[in-house]
Amino acid sequence: MKFGIFFEMSTPRPFTSAVESAVFHNALEQARLADELGFDWVWAVEHHFLEEYSHCSAPEVVLAAVAAQTERIRIGHGAVVCVPEMNHPIRVAERCATLDILSRGRLEVGTARSSTWTELGGFSVDPDETKKTWDEFVHVLPKLWADGHASHQGHSFSMPERNVLPKPVQKPHPPLWVTVTSPGTELDAAERGLGCLGVAAAGYAEQERRTKDYFRRIESCNPVSSVVTKEVTTLNFLYCHEDPVTAAKVGMGMVGTFGLANSHLLWTREAYPTRAYQSLGNLASKPDRAKTGGPGDAYGIPEGICVGDPDIIVAALKRWESLGLTGINFLLNGLEVVPQDQVLASMRLFAREVMPHFKAR
Amino acid sequence: MLAGTASVDEFAGHAPTMASFDSGGCNFRDVLVFQAMFEIGIDGRQASLPPGLHPTNPPTAVFQAWHCPQSPWGPFTLAQARVGCRSGLRPRGMAQGCVVDNPEAAESLRSRWGLPVRLGEVRLDTSYHDVALEVAIDGRSAFAVHAVDPTPLGEDDVSYATTVSLAHTPRGLRLVQIDTDLAARRAERVTLRRPSFDAAVFGVHHSVRLTHPVAASLCRGELDLHPLRYVCLPDVLAFTGTESVD
Repeated sequence: MKFGIFFEMSTPRPFTSAVESAVFHNALEQARLADELGFDWVWAVEHHFLEEYSHCSAPEVVLAAVAAQTERIRIGHGAVVCVPEMNHPIRVAERCATLDILSRGRLEVGTARSSTWTELGGFSVDPDETKKTWDEFVHVLPKLWADGHASHQGHSFSMPERNVLPKPVQKPHPPLWVTVTSPGTELDAAERGLGCLGVAAAGYAEQERRTKDYFRRIESCNPVSSVVTKEVTTLNFLYCHEDPVTAAKVGMGMVGTFGLANSHLLWTREAYPTRAYQSLGNLASKPDRAKTGGPGDAYGIPEGICVGDPDIIVAALKRWESLGLTGINFLLNGLEVVPQDQVLASMRLFAREVMPHFKAR
Repeated sequence: MLAGTASVDEFAGHAPTMASFDSGGCNFRDVLVFQAMFEIGIDGRQASLPPGLHPTNPPTAVFQAWHCPQSPWGPFTLAQARVGCRSGLRPRGMAQGCVVDNPEAAESLRSRWGLPVRLGEVRLDTSYHDVALEVAIDGRSAFAVHAVDPTPLGEDDVSYATTVSLAHTPRGLRLVQIDTDLAARRAERVTLRRPSFDAAVFGVHHSVRLTHPVAASLCRGELDLHPLRYVCLPDVLAFTGTESVD
């Protein structure tokens, strides 16, 4: 079982330069500590226009700083939005190769297509096209990273023969992942030999189904290159404290605040009717009138949250591990509601009391 | 954290009055439902949502029309103007203005479900490739739009947020949650053309300006208007301000 930290750069109002600066520099300090403590990954998302929820619109820049300030932890570009209006595939290949060089071969490349109208609408992206462009990107990136020249005649872009430079340190290329929000995307990942980077809260039963389906399907995959990344991770929150009451008070405050910021996003499905988006995004399951309560119910809080004392968190993680997950990534804060010293203390306690239950085996 | 900043008192003056929460339910067959979403400016959003609701980014206005050829009140066509929001963590649209062409329907929808309905002219016309919605009050146009180029969708590909409406209720001023379910037999996405909107005529805050068309859809099917279940305090977030009424 591997552990990662996951940066959204959620930012409280008012959006002054001091507040935004603190969020980014706190994250860098967390990344340095995660490197020392033995966490496996540090991921940074790509989001645009998501006030409060995520100000991480240039993750490649954040991760360049992380790479420069750490020695061992793997650098997760999680994930590049694979639509040409936001990222041209040649630029993605160039940026990722550069990051792989600067991190001395520690890069992991996540791929995504964005799930909010806030973002897709802002870039005038046709939501019906994003699955196609994502598929084209994941097939073409390995060709652009391969030694020598490459050309491409495709759906969303074409290029004559060129040598895309530089080339990544990891050969033939860094591990490729896809973020999974909508049910069924885990199968898209498996069929292409990509890692399954869970970013939506799924309950135990749903995660078990996705994980089993993924591992079954990847056995007969048609990989996008010679590299198969056989991993399934999920996203969780982390707040670890010796006193479970304190942990619950602080940690669930963070979870609730982040969930509220999440609810302000305008999901593609609610804005633009389409077959291409079947989910209302992360943290929000489709309400079932017969089963759900009123608007006061915080139905978005998922099962198995890693908020508690070390024993509670070990128990939750063992349950997740039993489902076949290979890793869990943690959000450490939400809109800075947890003071930085407490975030760092939570990470240290987790590394001291929780990690050994999993790393020793 | 974002929340609405509209004056509840300002809304209260136009809010309908409900004598009870015993709305019952209604089932409408062979209904035509048309929805058009536009992005709006932030000023309009903040002036339209009370502190008990929190907004979406970007802000949206949603115009939803129902053509019901059969109902307990006879045939009617209704058009709502809503501002997109969240109640708790749930997607909602807060009714700002509502126009219906049938006096009995208007009275029932106001007094039983708390919709801020006024009588007017509402036309929802469809042809093979075109949808036209026209809403007028006393001969003055409140809203008009065309939508063209239908793209077929699956019945489950279209989802409409629940409406909330501010009303004087037996418990005082409350946001009334008006639950509907549409069982679509046919659904299409259509492209918006030539919108015109007069906020004042529709009864919507003057600062609501349509800045960018998003998308529209047209569905045919069966619509259930459910008995009331929840109301919320207008000035407190739903996590603490929700009351059960069923």
